[in-house]
Parts: sequence; C-alpha cells; structure tokens
Amino acid sequence: MVLSQKLHEAFKGTVEKITGPRTVSAFKEKGVLSVTEFVTAGDNLVSKCPTWSWESGEPSKRKPYLPPEKQYLITRNVPCLRRAASIEEEYEAAGMEVLLDNEDNDGWLATHGKPKDRSCEEENLPSIESLEISKNKAVKLAPSHVGGEDEDDIPDMADYEEADNIEIDPGTYIIAHEPEDDNILRTRTYDVSITYDKYYQTPRVWLTGYDESRMLLQAELVLEDVSQDHARKTVTIEDHPHLPGKHASVHPCRHGAVMKKIIDVLMSRGVEPEVDKYLFLFLKFVASVIPTIEYDYTMDFDLGSSSS
Amino acid sequence: MEGSSGKSILQFAPFQSSVDEGFWHRLSSLKLNKFGIDDSPIPITGFYAPCSHSQVSNHLTLLAESLPSDSSEESEVPEISRGNRNRCSVPGILYNTNTVERFHGLDKQGLLKAEAQKIWEDIHNGRALEDSSVLSRFLLISFADLKKWSFHYWFAFPALVLDPPATLVDLRPASQCFSLEEAESLSAAFNEWRNSSLTADVPFFLVQIDTNSHATIKHLKDWETCQSADGHKLLFGFYDPCHLPNNPGWPLRNFLALICSRWDIKSVHFLCYRENRGFADLGLSLVGEALITVPQGWRDHPYVPNAVGWELNKGRKIPRGISLAKSMDPTRLAISAA
Repeated sequence: MVLSQKLHEAFKGTVEKITGPRTVSAFKEKGVLSVTEFVTAGDNLVSKCPTWSWESGEPSKRKPYLPPEKQYLITRNVPCLRRAASIEEEYEAAGMEVLLDNEDNDGWLATHGKPKDRSCEEENLPSIESLEISKNKAVKLAPSHVGGEDEDDIPDMADYEEADNIEIDPGTYIIAHEPEDDNILRTRTYDVSITYDKYYQTPRVWLTGYDESRMLLQAELVLEDVSQDHARKTVTIEDHPHLPGKHASVHPCRHGAVMKKIIDVLMSRGVEPEVDKYLFLFLKFVASVIPTIEYDYTMDFDLGSSSS
Repeated sequence: MEGSSGKSILQFAPFQSSVDEGFWHRLSSLKLNKFGIDDSPIPITGFYAPCSHSQVSNHLTLLAESLPSDSSEESEVPEISRGNRNRCSVPGILYNTNTVERFHGLDKQGLLKAEAQKIWEDIHNGRALEDSSVLSRFLLISFADLKKWSFHYWFAFPALVLDPPATLVDLRPASQCFSLEEAESLSAAFNEWRNSSLTADVPFFLVQIDTNSHATIKHLKDWETCQSADGHKLLFGFYDPCHLPNNPGWPLRNFLALICSRWDIKSVHFLCYRENRGFADLGLSLVGEALITVPQGWRDHPYVPNAVGWELNKGRKIPRGISLAKSMDPTRLAISAA
C-alpha cells in the first residue's frame, strides 16, 4: 500500500474514533447520509431488491453506531459475464458518464495514485490483446491464491485421485463440461457488499470475486472487472470493515460530491429526491464503475426525466 | 429440448459448494483456541437460495456463521436468524482432521453412507416433513494446515440413489404449463411465501392449483389434507439452485426418494422454483413429470439405499485446496502493511 494511503487510513481511523456519527440530515446539501438514513435506505433496497440482505458480520467487528443485525448489505453470487474493458466504449456514449464527469472533469480523480504509478498503469490498459493475457493469468497465476498444480503450499491433489473410493453414478449426474478453449470467457461471480463509511458519511461498495468454480479470485484480478478509468485510482484494494481479507472497493472520497450532483440534477428536473431512494441512485452510479457486474438496483428507477 | 416428451433418464445438476474466506478464518481460530487436537465431527450450517440469475446457479455457501461462535461470551444477536430468504439453512457436518494423511485416509464412502442414512431415517420418521431442510444435509471433510494457512477440503451432497433411475416424461418452463390466471395466482403465492419470514427459508413444499385457478403453497406435512380436495393439480415444489433449462438441481433427488417412499406416488409432477432478481420467474422455473419405480428393498426399514454425491473438482475426483497465507500469515501481513 502506498505510504500516503496508509497515513490517510490512520488519520481517518483516528477521526472516526473521536467524532460521533452524523445524526443531522445533510442529504440534499452535501449528498451524504446519516447513520439512520443509511439504515432507512438499506431497508428500502432490501424490500425492493430482495437479492440484497442485511448482515450482522463478525461480532468483534460490529460498529456500535449501527444496529447489530444491520451492519452491512450484501448480494451474493452476482454474475459477471464479460470483462469491463470489452464494454468500455459502450459506456462512453451512455450518458451516465456525462452526468458524473462534468466539464471540470472532477467527477473522478485519482485518490492516492502517483504520476509514476499512472504511467505503468497505462501500459497494462485495455487493448483486447492485453485482456487475453490477463485472462490467461487468471487461469495460470491463480495458484498463488487458490489451490492448483504448482503451488508449494498445496500438495498436488492429483496424486490422491482415488477413482475406486468414491462413486458418482454417471447415469443421473450431469457432468459439467468446462470449456477447454481459453478464448471462452468464463463467468465470474461476485459478492457485492455495501458498508457505511463513517468518515465520508456515505455508503461504500466492496467486491469479492470468484472464478467459474467459485474459488476466491485475487483482489488484483478483480480490477479487470472495474472500468479501466477507475482501476487502482478510485477502486483500491483494502481491508473490509466486516469481512476478513483484502477486497476491492470503490473509494468513497468523492461519493458525497457525486451524489450531490445527481441530486441537483434531479431537483433541477423538478423531482424531489427522497432519502430512502439514495441507494438506488448510488448503485446506479456505481454501475458506471463496475459495468459488467449485474447486481440488482431496480432497473425501472427513473432519474426524473419524465416525471417533471 | 423444449417441451421434450418420450422417456429418458432424469439427470440432475450437482450442487456446487462455495466457501467464504470468513469460514476458514473462524475454523482456524476455533482449532487454535477451542478444539485443539480434538477432531470429533462438528455440526455446521450451510446456506442456499433458489437460483436468482438466469446465467448462474446458486451454491451451497459456507460463511463464518456456519461454524459455532468462537467467542466465549454469548452474543445478544442469534447468529443464524431463520427466515432470511437469501439464506436457507441446511444442516451439515464437518470432519476436520489433524493431518493430511488422516484427511486422505478418511473412509469417504462410509462417511457419505452415514449421512445418507440420517436422511433416510428422517424420511421414515417424518422429521423431513416438519423440517424439510434435512433432505439436503451435506458433509465436509477438511484438513486445515495452520502452519501454511492452507486448507484442503471436499464436499459431499448425499443423494439416495433410485434404482432403477427415475425417467423423465416431460420437462418444460413453468410458464408453458399454466393458464394466464393460474400463472398470476401462482406467482403471487410464491412471492408471498418468499416474503414471509415464516416460510421464506422452507425449501420444499406443495403447490396446489384449484379448479378455479387459485394457487396455494403448502407445507409438506399438509399432504394428507391436499388429498381431500379434488379436481386440482398438485405439484411437488422445491427451491432449485440450478439455472440450467433442461435439468433440475440436486435437491430434487432426495425429494423424489421421500415422495416415493412415504406416499408411494409413481408419477411425480415436480416444480423447480427459480427466481429472477428475487422474484418468482415462471420462465426460468421448470415443471416436469417423472416416473418412479419403487426400488426393491425400500419397504424394509433397516435397508439404506446406496448414495452418491462427492463434489467433483473440475470434473475430477479430487479435493479442493485454498491458500490464505495472504490474509492470515502475520509476516506477509506485516510486509504488506509496511
């Protein structure tokens, strides 16, 4: 982790410890949420999009300012059928980007990147060829995280193949045929969770990726499913507040400002934004960062264009 | 194979496992702080939900909460709350060995048979009618190498084998099997069942459609009362984790065993319940008819049918492994934090 990022985390942690959670609503003024507003918006998300549910998480990691049974939101096993780079162009033209990245181009900024990091980023960026390579990496490098043929820590399980010990009854079993061809993109799945970030007073999105056999994907590989404009800049790999391990997360430093902009657009169209719809708006904007992960956020939610 | 007819052997898509990192973290902590070298089997809880996206099946998932709590003080929130629609509990058992040799030396067929016997007994003593989740009982064997933070494991989803196998008469999307009125009433009944905390996580049920097209979902234990009404359709429904258009998922196997041994039904109309975005989707759900011949010996109680169900790893009969050194090894954590 970059030193500046470390320092910032330490600072943020200290501020979170000594300041109380937001209790006064500043939803329309600043695009932020109080703790109770987060719970209200979460309840509404769970009731409208029932693939989402509240979790209580590890007891030792519970935040005292949130109800114990409503610590964070999660939707599991969400398919991701394509890598993000392959649809980058569609999104450029989709309008949502225009709404977020205004003429000042301050909708998104690198949070902790240094110019040097950026230049090596560029080399890795999205041509189809590089995507092919990174896909092979997903298959071949995975052993450093997932048990595989040539990982020292894990004995080669093929040595233990015991054809005579277990029975599988091929007559009634469907044996899944894994595509042999590496040109076929395999379906990844994601667990998407939303926590409340007390420092920025906004929701924060976290991604846990799995490969096609539901084995944990390294956080680095998750970056392939993030819009390449945001990988390593607004999307960083950090400790999840409630779950073990490193997870990719959309950094919340600009969430308040972006949400404020969306709310302003709604109000300029004569729509009175309601705080319980915050997460639908929020998830719609997060979809521009993770365009290929097909989580639910009520598709028919109207940004207000027709109801004025 | 849309609306296929003619007899073929009914084939099922195997259940797939998914283990959250939190499960291994809690198992390690329990092993170090509580169990020590005691390797007696541990009751655990798996979770599953009906398929909710047309492109991917749901899995049987293990989370940190699948294991007993590792803190000594009781927390005020019950860890596993019933009624969560995205977490239907399934009872399981974990054999965590102390050495890799013990892991490979476990009598896998014997362990599977022992779990299958529990399912068989619950079918016969009626417990499966009260709490149908016992029909999907599962087994996990593991070796946790806490020096290297690597875990070897293997799941089994025991299924009682029908011999001869069930044959398929018909299988098609549920949307093709009902009138518009019936379909509307059925979707409403399903959404109500899934939204009530009393029934949201009850994975096996009866679907009754009256002559006036009114659909109701009922508990398995109400089977007798369903027999008194006449002129209706009765289907055996279950939460199907599988997304494939031509195959029902694994839980149907033990359900068929229950249906044919308890109620002696030879032609079974079943409904594989699936969702889209959390709501009943009759286009994804399947309705099928299977013919069962009650296998020889099933009437004798001491007899236990043969069972299958060890999960394959990329089509091979080998265990899975995962290394969590990155998130568990203190030296690596110190380096990444530097």
